[in-house]
Formats: sequence, structure tokens, C-alpha cells
Amino acid sequence: MPSSTHHVVLGNGIAGNHAADVIRKRDPNSRITIISAGALLFYNRYDLPDVFRGRHQWVDYLVHPPEYYESQNITLRRKTRVVELDPQTQTLSLAHRETLHYDKLLIATGGHAYIPARLLDDVGLMHSFHNFRVAMQVQNAVRKNGTVIMLGGDVMGLDLARTIIATGHRVIVALDNRTFWPHEIAQSERARYLQALESMGLDIWDHGKVDHIEAGNSKGPARQVFFEDGSEIRGDVVMPFFGLVPTVDFLATSGIDMERGILVSPQLQTARDNIWAAGDVCQIWSATSNAYRFYYGYRNVKMMGEVAAYNMTGEQSAFESTVDEALEVTSKGLLHSPFWEYD
Amino acid sequence: MAKQTDIQISICGSAGDGTIAVGDIFKRAMARAGYRVIAFDHYPAEIRGFGKCISRTRISTNQVYSMKSYSDVLVSLNDLHAIPHVGEVRDYGAIIYDSAPMSAVAEGAHISGHLMPGHLPYALPIRELSELATGANRSRNIVALGFIAGLYQLPQQAFHQAIAAKFETKAPAVADTALAAFDSGFKSGSSTYKFDDVQIDHSRARKNGGEVRMMTGNGAIAHGCLEAGIETFFGYPITPATGIMERLAVEMPRRGGRLVQTEDEIAAISATIGAGYAGARAATATSGPGLALMAEMLGLGVMAEVPAVVFVSQRGGPSTGMPTKTEQSDLNLAVWGGHGDARRIVLAPTNVEGCRRCAARAFEMAEKFQVPVIVLIDLYLSNRYETVFLQGEDNFLPKNWQRVDSGAPGDNYRRYELTADGLSPRCVPGEAGGIYTATGLEHDEYGHPNDSPDVHSLMSEKRHEKLRDAMKYPGINFTKRFGDKGKIDVGLLAWGSTFGEALEAVLLAREEGIRCAAMKVVMMSPLPARPILRFCNDCQQVLVPELNYTGQFANLVSGELGRPVTRVSHATGAPMDINYLLTAIRNAAKQKLRNKTTTSNPTKA
Ligand SMILES: Cc1cc2nc3c(=O)[nH]c(=O)nc-3n(C[C@H](O)[C@H](O)[C@H](O)COP(=O)(O)OP(=O)(O)OC[C@H]3O[C@@H](n4cnc5c(N)ncnc54)[C@H](O)[C@@H]3O)c2cc1C
Repeated sequence: MPSSTHHVVLGNGIAGNHAADVIRKRDPNSRITIISAGALLFYNRYDLPDVFRGRHQWVDYLVHPPEYYESQNITLRRKTRVVELDPQTQTLSLAHRETLHYDKLLIATGGHAYIPARLLDDVGLMHSFHNFRVAMQVQNAVRKNGTVIMLGGDVMGLDLARTIIATGHRVIVALDNRTFWPHEIAQSERARYLQALESMGLDIWDHGKVDHIEAGNSKGPARQVFFEDGSEIRGDVVMPFFGLVPTVDFLATSGIDMERGILVSPQLQTARDNIWAAGDVCQIWSATSNAYRFYYGYRNVKMMGEVAAYNMTGEQSAFESTVDEALEVTSKGLLHSPFWEYD
Repeated sequence: MAKQTDIQISICGSAGDGTIAVGDIFKRAMARAGYRVIAFDHYPAEIRGFGKCISRTRISTNQVYSMKSYSDVLVSLNDLHAIPHVGEVRDYGAIIYDSAPMSAVAEGAHISGHLMPGHLPYALPIRELSELATGANRSRNIVALGFIAGLYQLPQQAFHQAIAAKFETKAPAVADTALAAFDSGFKSGSSTYKFDDVQIDHSRARKNGGEVRMMTGNGAIAHGCLEAGIETFFGYPITPATGIMERLAVEMPRRGGRLVQTEDEIAAISATIGAGYAGARAATATSGPGLALMAEMLGLGVMAEVPAVVFVSQRGGPSTGMPTKTEQSDLNLAVWGGHGDARRIVLAPTNVEGCRRCAARAFEMAEKFQVPVIVLIDLYLSNRYETVFLQGEDNFLPKNWQRVDSGAPGDNYRRYELTADGLSPRCVPGEAGGIYTATGLEHDEYGHPNDSPDVHSLMSEKRHEKLRDAMKYPGINFTKRFGDKGKIDVGLLAWGSTFGEALEAVLLAREEGIRCAAMKVVMMSPLPARPILRFCNDCQQVLVPELNYTGQFANLVSGELGRPVTRVSHATGAPMDINYLLTAIRNAAKQKLRNKTTTSNPTKA
């Protein structure tokens, strides 16, 4: 491989970092730049529930120390948001009005919480949990023995719910048609899984769709959630768990093929030269399903990063998921999603 | 328990960005808020243009002695200028920059692409916030200041007061605009999650007690002159000493003093010596090139035993050299410069408070010892800001030139009478019975020209020996030891502005377990050999750090003491680098005593 190649990895998550690591091993002399909209080095997002256990220093979540980037000769550009991609000139436009040229580009911008349209007006009253800063905000907002309301109840929130309960708080899950996302659950199975949620200590609230959210008064819990059936629950924080949507807003003018995510071949290549995609942002062609499919969770995403890196450095490997996709109820009656395992 | 606060914030921009102005507000606000402040600005030599400006401010709840060798926070108001300084920010320190520049940025020209992995970025739409708050982008500097204050939860009130004071003389709208810009930055900073580990603990700041002033070395010298009751000042502008004259030009007329800008330095020293001869408290101020021109007249001052005070602020030389860079390379000239055996007093304060004290005492000493006194500082000290706590003002002595009557008036008045301590009865023109000849020629006790061998020999001895007691003059510590007591591995003998860095390096080395100490030497001529020798005898190794190439102070010390010392010379135009010194200390601690004068180069460690 030519040593002067500039590999730009857009996204500082699992897919992006794993890809950068593999590219460096396969092409020791190339230039590698990782771009991140966030402020921190790559850290372990899955451990964030630990903020409830008193782990309040972001450095304790780092996957790599700062020296790693220096030793690997990887440039990490943080607080850098890409606003446009021009595949023609092979440039990325950054929000601060700089353009960056790439020779090979990996898009690994992940996804962000999906908020149903009817709740968009109330976004300011909800807390997400996608990065360290907001995780700390949630932790600060939940009072001693307080209550967290999880709307939707996708399986991304499972581990967090478990930790919140274990640290003396209450979790109410307001059910929705996205409960258990991304697993698709047959109606006949639903009761069994809900029971598992209850055995894990979660309170189930099955009152249909949320109508709106309001700030509570200064004495009581900070949030009130009103449902279309007229019922209401109160809690310290309200968190949306309706699944993810891929982060692709910056691609609007790029001409990259997209459905909900970026469409890629099994080799994770887009239809444009020198552009690959990996992680939660992409939909991969599956011959068996005869459709473009999402593959979630740590092991899938890590594998995608690796496959993309191989292909960006001259291989032609295809991505194949090894994750069994079934949601299980363990012998202890607890829920377990194979997507959400990591090492 | 509350932690000690000790952080350094650097603001970097282009001339015209208001970098120095905003640094000034920051340091004054922090002084108001009860912190000890030490600050040093860097600005271009050119008066106009787009050169780089950096304002560095260290704030602390404890006494600090120098700037730090690294910064905890860097604010970029101009990325091209700031990018080369990114490396001076420590790991887990903060870099604050504009995320919404006015125009497109070339690849690699935005600071976000140059941060080290250990830095914490704060991308702030500085220009946009300025425009929203004030309708113009001119207040970017104040927005950034407000952001710092908000992010680190600094007392907003102290900043409001400092901003109001800064724009006091301008139309009220100027201060209002600045306050709006500050508040907008403050709001943004307060709502920003702080990822860096920079801690400013306000509970440890000094709450009250004594008047606090922010002064530069030049300002402190002017202050000392005024406290001592200066009556006349003659000067010719030269960087970095001009600030002394500027300040006195404002203050002296208000107090009945006279200040004259002369046509050159020769005229300035001549007039100063003339005024001293006439009995006034008189001074001049210059830099190395000006001192070179003054050398001849200093000889007259010594010979005619006329008091005069000369403030000298050194800069990079020789010749025009580096007028806006610092150096300590005029020590030889100050101590020895000139013709004949023209011994004079040379004082070299080590901090801003010392500048004030030495300036005031210089007048007293010039009068008492009837000799020109040079107060030697350098650009770093001239322009460095420090908080000075005026607790119980020093009592500086009033003018004292009254003739000590040594006999009958008239022809019998012996102006240069040979006395036990070498000090003769002085009088000023017009005093009854005080007529004598004041001349540059060698003279007898009456002042009559006389070049006989005996007279020259006795008078030479008088002129030298009368200064012996200068080392005992009260009110200034001419030498002082800090750090470990007793026998030590490494001792640093430092003078002038470099002493601060020397002491900081010693404190760091002690944390590493090295037994070491620093001695500051304030009197350079006559050299207080005894305490210096005692200190040297306690040290396995003596390092003499200074900002010149040849090791002028090291040569002075080893020449007078006949004892080996190791030069740690640093001639870059910048203040002494603490890490460079620390490396030199570590190396010296490892070495056996070397019994010859050697040069240390820590980079070759
Ligand atoms: C709250 C939450 C909890 C989860 N818990 C688990 C779990 O316990 N186990 C598990 O296996 N999976 C979990 N997941 C899913 C898992 O995080 C994802 O599958 C995985 O992190 C996706 O990795 P990625 O590299 O594709 O993207 P991400 O990790 O999402 O990284 C995206 C990166 O792209 C950057 N970015 C996005 N847009 C831009 C832009 N325009 N410009 C510049 N940079 C941009 C972001 O800054 C970020 O660095 C969780 C997800 C969420 C949201």
C-alpha cells in the first residue's frame, strides 16, 4: 500500500477505533485521522451506567490512554463535526469551515436515539444516555431512591435499568411498539419477556402512547409524563429508549445511497469510490434476506470495523455476523440480548 | 479539603485582537478576587501589524515566584499564532478556541487539528457570541474571558469591576458593550461541562488584609521612586525601560516633581548627576545601549561622589539586538562598565515587590554612600505583572544630604575628607560655608585637583572602602537562602528575574528528593562575598543560572570567591526555562564535585 495514503475515519466509536487500529497494523506508514464530534478520547460507553456506582471520572472509562494515539501515530480530531461530504473532490467539510481531504474514508458515525415525532416538542425534558456528560447529568438528576422513567424500553437501556435498580432507585418502563428493539418479538412471546423485565425489578407501565411530558413542580419529582389514555406517571428523569437512528444528516448532498442507514455491500463499500461504512450507521446487503440490514451490538460493530479496515487496505473480505439474534430469558428468568455482549 | 489553586492561563492572538487587554482584565480581576497573580505578556516588536501577542497569567493561592513552564489553559483568538503554543498545554489541560471563524480555513490551519490527545477541547462560537451580544465581532476577546470565568466558576463580580475599571476613561457604552460580551461568554462557560482537571478553588483565595496592587516591575520602580520622594527625572525613551518614565511623567508633575525628556542618554545622565550635585533626589532610566552611553558620566559621578540613581532594564543585545526580548547580559557593564576604577552600587531585585523596594532604597543609598546606584532589571521583570500587597508601607527615609560639619566653614570645608568609614561631609551648592570644587579630576580632600601618587592612592581606597558598609544597609535582603538548610547536594545562586525560576526548580527538585537550595543575590556590587561563600561551602555543586551566553554572574562570583561554579546559561531571549533548570539540577545531583568552572548544558544530559 502507498504509505502516503490519508485514511480518514469518521467516528470515534467502536467501529472507527477498531478500524483505525487495524489500518495502522496493515499500513504502518499511512496517515490516519479519526474525527469525532465529541470532546473525549475513545471510551467505553457500555460501562457508563457505572456513574450510578460512583465512577465519576471520565478517564476511568478510557479504552486507550492519550499516549496510545501518539504511539500509533493516529491524529484524533475531537469537537470536530463533519457537515458535508463531497465524494467528487474527496473532501469533508467541517463545521468550523475547514475542509479535509481524504484518500480513503470510513464512515462510522453510529446512531442516535430515535424520538417519535409526537414527542419532538418535549425533547428538552428528556435525558439521553449516549455519552459521559449526559450520563453524569442523569446521575445528578436522579434523587436518592428516586425514579427513572424509560419510554419505549429498547434493550439498550437494559443494563442501565439494572444498575439504577441495584443502586436503590426505581425504574418504570412505559411500553411501546419499540419495546425490546432491535429484537422483533412475536405477540405470543411478549408476556414472557415482560415478566422477565419484572423479575429484573423494572416496573411495567402499559398505558399506550405518551401524549406529552411536563416539568414537575419544585417540590415533587422533576418530570410528569402524560399518556393518551389520560394516565400519568412521575419521575426524576425521563429517558427515550425507542431504538437508534443512523447519524447520516451530513450526507444529504453527498449522493451516497441511503435508506435509513448508508447502504453498503457485504465488503462494507458504498457505491462511491474510496468510501466505506461500518457500525450502527450502515445497512449491509444480505443475500439471504434479499435486503439491506442493520447489525447491532458490540461484536457486530467491532467486526465491521475490522472488515472495513482490511478492505480499505487492499482486501476484499465480506462481513458475516456471528451473533445469534434471539432475545433470551435466562434460567434465572432474566432478559439477555446477545447484541449487547461485549468483551 | 480545599486544594491549593495554582494555574496558568495563556491567551494568544494577533495584534488587534485585544489579547493583552483581556489578559490585563483577567489578572486584575483575579487580584481583586484575592489570588496572587504573576503575569508576563509577549507582544511583537512592531508597533503596527499582525504580530503574535500572548498574555500568560499564573494565579495561585500561595506565593509563587515565576511563570510556570507549561500552561493549564490556552485560549486561541488567532489559530495561526496559537498553534505553535498548543504543546505548552499540559495533559488534561484545556484549549479554548473559536468554532465559528469568519472565513473558510485552509486544511491544517484550524487549531482543532493540532491538539494533543491529552488536551481537552472547548469549541466555542466566540465570534458569533460576540456578534449576538454586542452587534460586532470586536469583543471576541471579552467573550472568551467570560467563558473562562464561567467554566471555572470565577467570581463574576470581580470581573465586572475589573472591566468597569479598564474602560473607566472611555464612553460608558464601551464598558457596557464589554460587560454584555463578558456575560454572554460567562453564561456559555457556566453551562459547559468541564472535562479538564483545572481546579480553581475560590474558598482558598485571600479574603482581605492590606491593599493589593497589580504592578509591573517598571510600575513598581516608578512607585518606589514616588514613595522615596523623587524630585527630578531625566530620561530618553528606550524599550523596555520607557514604562518607568511614562508612569513618572504622569505622576511627578502632580506631586511638584520635574521630568524632562532629554535629547539622548548622555544628556539624561549628565542632568541626573547635575541634579544630584544640587541636592535633588534624581534618577534616570535606560536599557543596555543607553547605559553604554552613560558610562563616561557615571565615572564623573563616582569621582565627584555625587548621588544619582540609574534604572537599567536589560534586553537582548549587543547593539539594537532584540529590543522586545529579555536577557541578563548587561551585568558586566553595570558592575564594571566605564573607565577607571569606578566602583558603584548595583542592585538587582528579583521580583516586582523587590523593584519597588530597591528603587526607593536606591535613593537613600546613593545619598548615604555618595555614589551612583544602578538598579538592574531586565525586560522580563520590567513587563511582568505581580500582585503587590501593600501591608504597612515601608518607611523610606527622607532626603538626607545635610552637611556634616567637620570644621570651620569657608575655605576649610573638606568635601572629600578622609574619614574612618570613607564617607565625607556632603553639602549642596548655596549652603553657607559649603563652597568646594566638584571635578572629574583626581582631587584632594578639598576637591582641589591633585594627581600626586599619595592622593590618588588614598582617594581610590576611600571611594572603594566607603561602599563596604553598603552591604549592611538595612531594609533590603541583599542575599537570602531558600530551600534545604545545612549541607546540600545542589545549590542555585541566582540573580534578577531568573531567581523566580531557580526557586521553582529547586522546589520541584526537592519534591524529587534532591537536597537543594537557592540563594538570591540582590546586591551585585559590591558583592556580598561572605554569605555567598558560606552558601557555596554548603553545596556539593553550585549552579549559576542566568540569561546570557557568557555566564556574567558566574564569572563575577568565581572571580571574587575563587571558587568553582557551574554556569547554566540560557541565551534565547526568553525567560529561564524551569525544566531546563530542573534537568541541570538532576544532572548536578548525580555528579561528583567538579573542581573547575564549567558550563552545564542540560540538553546534553
Ligand atoms: C445508550 C446506548 C447504550 C448502548 N449499550 C450497549 C451495550 O451495552 N452493548 C452493546 O453491545 N451495544 C450497546 N449500544 C450500541 C452500541 O453502542 C453501538 O452498537 C456501537 O457503539 C456503535 O458503534 P459505532 O462505532 O457504529 O458508533 P458510535 O459508537 O455511536 O460512534 C459514533 C461516532 O461518530 C461520531 N460522529 C457522529 N456524527 C458525526 C459527525 N457529523 N461529525 C463527526 N463525528 C461524528 C461521534 O462523535 C462518535 O464518535 C448502546 C448504544 C447506546 C446509544
